[in-house]
Amino acid sequence: MRPTPFAAALAVATALSLAFLLIPIVAIFAELSLGGLVDGLTSDVALDALRVTAETNLVAMALIVIFGTPTAYLLATRRFRGRALLVTVIELPLVLPPAVAGLGLLAAFGRFELLGRTLYALGIDVAFTKVAVVLAVMFVASPFYVRTAIAAFEAVDTDLIAASRTLGAGPARTFARVGLPLASGGLGAGLALAFARGLGEFGATIMFAGSLQGVTQTLSLAVYQEFDVNFENALAIGALLVIASALVLFAAKLIPAWTRSASTSITVSAPSVSR
Amino acid sequence: MSRRLYIAGALAALVAGAASALALAALARDDAAAARPVVLAAASLTEVLPRIMSEASYSFGSSNSLAEQIRRGAPFDVYLSASPIYTQALYQEGLARKPVAFATNSLVVIVPRSNPAKIKTLFDLAERPKLRLVVAGPKVPIGLYTREVLKRLGLLEVLKKTVSLEPDVKGIIGKVALGQADAGFVYLTDVPPVASRARAIPIPARAQPTVVYELAIAAKPADLEAAQDFVIAVLGPDGRRELRASRFGLP
Repeated sequence: MRPTPFAAALAVATALSLAFLLIPIVAIFAELSLGGLVDGLTSDVALDALRVTAETNLVAMALIVIFGTPTAYLLATRRFRGRALLVTVIELPLVLPPAVAGLGLLAAFGRFELLGRTLYALGIDVAFTKVAVVLAVMFVASPFYVRTAIAAFEAVDTDLIAASRTLGAGPARTFARVGLPLASGGLGAGLALAFARGLGEFGATIMFAGSLQGVTQTLSLAVYQEFDVNFENALAIGALLVIASALVLFAAKLIPAWTRSASTSITVSAPSVSR
Repeated sequence: MSRRLYIAGALAALVAGAASALALAALARDDAAAARPVVLAAASLTEVLPRIMSEASYSFGSSNSLAEQIRRGAPFDVYLSASPIYTQALYQEGLARKPVAFATNSLVVIVPRSNPAKIKTLFDLAERPKLRLVVAGPKVPIGLYTREVLKRLGLLEVLKKTVSLEPDVKGIIGKVALGQADAGFVYLTDVPPVASRARAIPIPARAQPTVVYELAIAAKPADLEAAQDFVIAVLGPDGRRELRASRFGLP
């Protein structure tokens, strides 16, 4: 069949979009030699940054899941006045410039500011520590998880929840045995998105946590520092971030598919709720 | 009928494409237009340069990363560095014309107004075990000068108290002015803009490094006339007056 002009126009537009997005990424790898990649990734700067990034993101993601999951469940299962406002607050960091996030964190947790002073009095010193990096990552990355988690909980068949309740399970048990397993694909995808954002976090971290090798310098901060110190290192760390981010993002697409078979089998094996 | 629709669609796509290309071109020209020189300048010149010449497109940053951007092909008309190292290197590499010195500066220690670490002299930095010091990386001019000061006073050990390595001098200013850090090394000229939040502690004259600012016109400026006008403004009486008013020295 001859392609229509419309289809051809779509194809051309798509090709241009892809080229525009891919060229800078390909350029990183084009400038990088294999030796440079190996040297760069085994440099002290890169290894320290990798460790800091892994530690801080792990803690941040754990906290996001612990606090974000109940928040998302509440917002997905209850309708109340001001809900839209609450969701807006949760989503705000998505669109906030990272520099503003850094400023806000400083104004809240700075040594002489309200929360910072209280924590300092309790012996918790946030400034220039990994705690500051964790806070920055949590602030910018949590909306990615909570948003996806709300959608995942909303997609759970309400009949299944109702069935669980009529069969005698309490709300907590229903959440743990029905809501959570059925939403797990979406939750996993949301976590992957949040992690991808956390990996790339830069602006809020450099403003709030500073940048010190082995302490607060994450991979993104290391790229910035190495740009004019050792360009090869910057390229190597950049390449690592490209690959890691791509893998995480791809995982976010696959996770719901992996778990879908499980959730559909539950629906199928639960004839009492089939409509 | 449908064929006509397709043609209309293709035409619309073409028009949209051409329009966005034109818009981009207009944006690009807008940056370069109206004899506005593209000026890459050391972060410590952030306040003073726009007072000398408001009609310029400025990009402020650490002198070393700006030099690196120039090496990577960043377009510019004039480059102003807080250290002759970078202007001279670009001159040697054929990327810039002959550099001219236009200002000098000196270093001070800056502490938050509340002075949480109770720093009274530079030597107190060595006496506070839990000091939070912010400095810049060793390739950033202010970082280079800081190390020179500490070396001359035999205080290099103080660098171990660094809690953050900032990308440029404004990063140091911000962290200290907000009270996050206890102390940092900055230029004398950086203090007045944050005088309400921070104050300066002098560094002994014998430890002062020679801080010389140089400027250089690009080897191939987009607009030579605009670049020359800018340089004349900085080197001329207006420029000298503004520089002195901001507490820069003159060479």
